[in-house]
Amino acid sequence: MKILGLSCFYHDSAAALVIDGMPVAAVQEERLTRRKNDSAFPIEAVEYCLDTAGLEPEELDAVVFYERPMLKFERVLTTALRAFPHSWRSFPHAMKNMLGEKAWVRGVITSRLGVPGNKILFTEHHQSHAAAAFLTAPTERAAILTADGVGEWATLTVGTGTRGASGTSIEIDREIRFPHSLGMLYSTFTAYLGFAVNEGEYKVMGLASYGEPTMADQVRKLIPRTADGAFRLDLDYFDFHTTSKRSFSDKFIKLFGPPRSRYEPIDLSTDEGRRFANCAASVQRVLEDILVDLTRDLHDRTRLPDLCLGGGVALNGVANARILRESGFERLFVPPAPGDAGCALGAALYADRIHFGNPDRAFPDHPFWGPEPDDAALPRIAAEDKFPHEALSDEALIEETADDLAAGRIVGWIQGRTEFGPRALGNRSLLAAPHDAEMRDRLNRDIKYREEFRPFAPVVPIEEAERYFELPPGGARLSRFMSGVFPVRPEWRDRLAAITHVDGTARLQTLERSFAPRLYDLIQAYGRRSGVPVLLNTSFNLAGEPIVCTPQEGYSTFRRSGVDLLIVGNTRVRKRPKNAKREAHEEEELV
Amino acid sequence: MGFWLNPVQAWVWRDPVRRGYRLLRFAEVEADGGRDLARAAELTPDPKLRRLYLRHAADEQRHAEMFRRRGSDLLRASAAAGAAAGWQPDWLAPGERGLDDVEVEEGRDAPLLAFLHLSEAAAARSFKTYHAAVRADPETRDVFARILKDENFHMSYTRHELGRVAPKKQGWLLWKARLGRLWKGYLRFAVALGSLMGGVLLTLQYFILLPVFALGAKRAAKREPEGWAAARDRRDLKGQY
Repeated sequence: MKILGLSCFYHDSAAALVIDGMPVAAVQEERLTRRKNDSAFPIEAVEYCLDTAGLEPEELDAVVFYERPMLKFERVLTTALRAFPHSWRSFPHAMKNMLGEKAWVRGVITSRLGVPGNKILFTEHHQSHAAAAFLTAPTERAAILTADGVGEWATLTVGTGTRGASGTSIEIDREIRFPHSLGMLYSTFTAYLGFAVNEGEYKVMGLASYGEPTMADQVRKLIPRTADGAFRLDLDYFDFHTTSKRSFSDKFIKLFGPPRSRYEPIDLSTDEGRRFANCAASVQRVLEDILVDLTRDLHDRTRLPDLCLGGGVALNGVANARILRESGFERLFVPPAPGDAGCALGAALYADRIHFGNPDRAFPDHPFWGPEPDDAALPRIAAEDKFPHEALSDEALIEETADDLAAGRIVGWIQGRTEFGPRALGNRSLLAAPHDAEMRDRLNRDIKYREEFRPFAPVVPIEEAERYFELPPGGARLSRFMSGVFPVRPEWRDRLAAITHVDGTARLQTLERSFAPRLYDLIQAYGRRSGVPVLLNTSFNLAGEPIVCTPQEGYSTFRRSGVDLLIVGNTRVRKRPKNAKREAHEEEELV
Repeated sequence: MGFWLNPVQAWVWRDPVRRGYRLLRFAEVEADGGRDLARAAELTPDPKLRRLYLRHAADEQRHAEMFRRRGSDLLRASAAAGAAAGWQPDWLAPGERGLDDVEVEEGRDAPLLAFLHLSEAAAARSFKTYHAAVRADPETRDVFARILKDENFHMSYTRHELGRVAPKKQGWLLWKARLGRLWKGYLRFAVALGSLMGGVLLTLQYFILLPVFALGAKRAAKREPEGWAAARDRRDLKGQY
């Protein structure tokens, strides 16, 4: 069967194609349109998926949308009604927003793809998250927890999944409903701290390490626990249900102080900067405490060793690490795309295994489902721009790149198919030596153009991980897709200063050779030079841009930033040394 | 920007807090413009245009940084004086691309160059007006003066390259770009008007039709238990409900 999964119209749209139970292609629209968090109908992603398989839309057996639009509409309308008359400002906005494309998804898919309406199916939002988490994990039976801002009504669900020769099932038994939402709580603080919602949550997590949870009790007032062990939001502190302009209320401001303007830099040496850091630390602590409680309860009820975690909240690596340590589960699986983009794949897999009842297939344990680079593009562009470039043998590529890294150069690294999900896991990465804090500052200042409090991640061969990082049982697995934050061993913190966060932790990626052989060999070659087989691995993009996909995008990023060399496949291009005469000549040619 | 707008501009730029936020907004627009040009560089098959677009993108990035730094300085100084941000409509002081979105597509360099030429010319006129309007603030004036120099280069290279890429169609392409800007302006106006009318109608409906239903919804909400709820049966994938 050929099943296309789609997610769109909220943030980060994506398409995924599953044929005979196996993924063939999956990509976020932003990687193809170059519009960060592109939420439009993912037409380019669909075209890529179909082209990869050589299919026409009419050959598809089903197109599965990742949520139920009318159920969502019901929630939006009911929320406005419940908040009457305070919702009078948000009501027109919400209705216009919903009644544009979002409420007519079946028609949109039919008209854009030419697929008949009876082939279009709808999973529920959290069902898609659950499928993306469970059906991609190497486990046959697991507890499942999904949590995000909101889908249709559910904001958090728990259940169990079973797969194997006897069939596949995902049983979601309980849920917490809107407006009570962990995701909305965290997003409200994201907005309060002056960051973009659905994008700046990483920054809150990074900032949290600089603060103390001194305001955790205030945060708990916002989210009291219920008698049955769940939670509710005290809506007096929130405005997201009454206005689209602001998610926190005046009462919230009275409790926490004035919000930060998004234009004001956070200066951690001031009282105000520390207050914001303490706010971040407090909401992070409360989020973790609640998640640990909920997962502990889920473990007690299911007695299963494995937990699959999905939804945007699963991107919180610090919380994930605490869940692994404290919930009682032995293994924690977070897919490479736990957010809404991953729902495209989840929806397609759910339809295949459960709706159509197709047999279970083991899912390939990697995220590389996006476009492959055109290896001929970089030599052509570099030659046209008179940039020195070389085609190297595999061995020379590894050894010479390790030399460059050891010499403190920053490498743009494009190999194989692009990752599906928000993280660069070795195929679209910027690599650098992890030893000096100066390297972190240089990356933040000259390449990523981002806040100084944001940390960088290390990548380490799985066999070496324990030597440098304090991993609990199951930690290496959780780090496969950079989903957990763990302490760097104290004795290595000075030598790994560029990837050690202020609180002594790192969001590491553990690497098996089969996952990304060339990167693995490069790290080992680097280890032979430096004595430490660890590299700094950050996504290959500039601030405000999606991760690069093609060699042309890598080249443009390389030219516009402080990246020293670019490697695509076996081709290497270096920055030219400064030469005033040549630059003046080139300038003359241009003008 | 015509003479008649100068008093408006003087009002927009008089207040340092408004000025600071305005510059920070410009910084975002310039950074966005830089990304669009980088995209154009990624898509063009013409090596010379690629180099020019990349240089242009770097200029925009530098402008963004200049605006950001100056805007932040102004706000920092004003914060010390306890000032607060006032009303800041974007359309009173549009930045680099004005209110236009650049459409970057593969193999469409000539229309893009025509569009860029016109928007750079419009930006140069605007920045000249802002430069005059910030007479009392030499540092902000200097930022505009430096950016204006680059705008002149951008205007001239886009015009020159348009002549090279489409020698026979350049006049037509410029007219088409002008008409395109007008059409987009009309569309923006029509969308804004439609949105306003829709907003008014929906607000009327809200107060006339919804109160009864709101009463029902509020009562139902009170009956809802707190905490966990049983999940509904979700196995049928055919419905949108």
